[in-house]
Amino acid sequence: MYEKDLYACEGEINEQLARYGVKFGIYKNNTFREQLFPFDVIPRIITKKEFQMLEAGLIQRVDALNLYLKDIYGEKQIIRDGIVPEDFVYTSSGYLAQCEGICPPGGVYSHISGIDLVKGKDGTWYILEDNLRVPSGASYPMIARELCRRCSPATYQKNHLEDNRNYAKLLKETMDGVSAGGINVILTPGRYNAAYFEHSYLAEQTGAKLVNGSELKVSGDCLYYEDYSGRKEKVGAVYRRISDEYLDPLNFNPESLIGIPHVFDVYRKGNVALLNAPGNGAADDKGIYYFVPKMIRYYLDQEPILQNAPTCLPFYEKDKQFVLEHFDRLVLKDVAEAGGYGVVFADRMTAEEKERFLALLEQEPRRFIAQEVIDFEDLDIMEQGEPVPRKADLRAFVLSGKETKVWKSGLTRFSRNPDSFIVNSSQGGGFKDTWVLSQ
Amino acid sequence: MGVISVEQTDRLYWLGRYTERVYTTMKLYFRTYDTMIEAGEDYRRFCQALEIPDIYASSEDFICRYSFDETDVNSLMSNLKRAYDNAVVLREEIGTEALSYIQLAVYAMQKAAKSQGPLIEFQKVLDNLMAFNGICDDQILSENVRNLLKVGKRVERIDLYARLHESRDNLNREICRLTGRIDRCSLKYRRKALDSLNRLVKEEELDYCGLIRQIEQIL
Repeated sequence: MYEKDLYACEGEINEQLARYGVKFGIYKNNTFREQLFPFDVIPRIITKKEFQMLEAGLIQRVDALNLYLKDIYGEKQIIRDGIVPEDFVYTSSGYLAQCEGICPPGGVYSHISGIDLVKGKDGTWYILEDNLRVPSGASYPMIARELCRRCSPATYQKNHLEDNRNYAKLLKETMDGVSAGGINVILTPGRYNAAYFEHSYLAEQTGAKLVNGSELKVSGDCLYYEDYSGRKEKVGAVYRRISDEYLDPLNFNPESLIGIPHVFDVYRKGNVALLNAPGNGAADDKGIYYFVPKMIRYYLDQEPILQNAPTCLPFYEKDKQFVLEHFDRLVLKDVAEAGGYGVVFADRMTAEEKERFLALLEQEPRRFIAQEVIDFEDLDIMEQGEPVPRKADLRAFVLSGKETKVWKSGLTRFSRNPDSFIVNSSQGGGFKDTWVLSQ
Repeated sequence: MGVISVEQTDRLYWLGRYTERVYTTMKLYFRTYDTMIEAGEDYRRFCQALEIPDIYASSEDFICRYSFDETDVNSLMSNLKRAYDNAVVLREEIGTEALSYIQLAVYAMQKAAKSQGPLIEFQKVLDNLMAFNGICDDQILSENVRNLLKVGKRVERIDLYARLHESRDNLNREICRLTGRIDRCSLKYRRKALDSLNRLVKEEELDYCGLIRQIEQIL
């Protein structure tokens, strides 16, 4: 077996990633450009035992979140029992009244969940946020692993790892498991979407058709993919990578040009599966995050295995007082934002910014959560041939179909800036492979 | 023949056309460039033949802008970018490996733009386009997808050959290849235009304008 050290291959691997178009799109100053996603060869390593704990905790969390979605769009028992306040549910920007009374096959709303975690310096894992709408990122470690194995086969012979290249198989099983009969498609907003590489790569790897809205037509209560001469194939499952509001101009945002008119009606009748289900934003709102441990106790009668980061909801008067008293040591997050945007560290605000922010908090307490800053673990990255420590998180992927499974890998993102906690690719971060040891 | 949407059909056809446009014009451009070493302004004939507006100040300006200027819609770089624009939305049809050769051709072109001897660097662009053709033949399972790409290539090549007054043999070969291919894909085309091409190429005096008209009308 060739003995070339994995760490010596960084240049070659990044060259190969460029060759295969592993990029993400970014809009800045009204200009679109594609940017390479920098890969660091030093993997995050998770032991078998540690992963077993994470796996159990993630399955528990996603199962509870699916039960919550089923409940709030159905019986609403959790509201009646006073676990989650009613106005908190209905003021969530992700709540969709159109989804009331709809239960997707198997009661699964979030088929592909991206759960963001960090590991504290004391070794405790904390959940940072749940992404139940269109989480992205699985394709990057998949293709990186493939290339790393080519560059340094001996590394993978010596170390006993779970093979993460099965993600496409898991995804296909998930789509097949909920399909209403017909082909699988991945619905993309188009090539100018930030995650377009992932859409096209997953389509290729799962054998699904990559489509945009104009390639699908609703006819006679079913959804079809149509060709040049009008020949049609029925679509059974749509892994949609566009957000709820753009999915169907006749049921949601009428200005959407990238959706499929009437697709929501077909879904309502059970004639097509939508992955993830519309309306999931009601459960991955940063405000609802606060209630997830309560949901686990309520629906599953279990203690949460994985902890939330310590969080306050200024919506509650008591929590608001705490925020005001301990403002400088908190990080404030706008519940409607994502991608690392809308996150402010109080100790980095100027006096004027603080004043403005506190006034806003007073006006719109539901809009923000406040968290203690977790001093999370640094991971080494290679910089000019030397290892240097940087902040990193982990996005774990949980797939729910007939059963809930955790992909034995994940996307480890890191900040390239030594002073930053923000790891998002859109803000200049890079990624690593995530090794889960099999022994 | 699997179902391929109208959008994907168009993209495959145009991917074939743009890759061929870059490949063939680049090869012909070598010839023109070579002549220009001594003859200077010969680029004007090249522009006229391809109906490219002569917006260039000099042969140096032509060499630079026709090769690399992305704002010039006729430049090789613009045509290659259009090939990439079509390829990048076809990953699941043509495969990551095939797509990577278009990406490599773009990188080679960008490298050539920074080089002091860009023409020699063009060879790498041509190599990658040839590799793309090879891998499409070898790895794309769907006959319809392969045929759509090839029909695009044939149409483009006939168009270029007719404009550049290539020999009857070359034109005849390409028209025969198109005739054998076009019924094997899901494109709708004008049978009359194809028959006219086959007739025109056999006439005693080649009517290049007639050939261009027919190839432009075929789809």
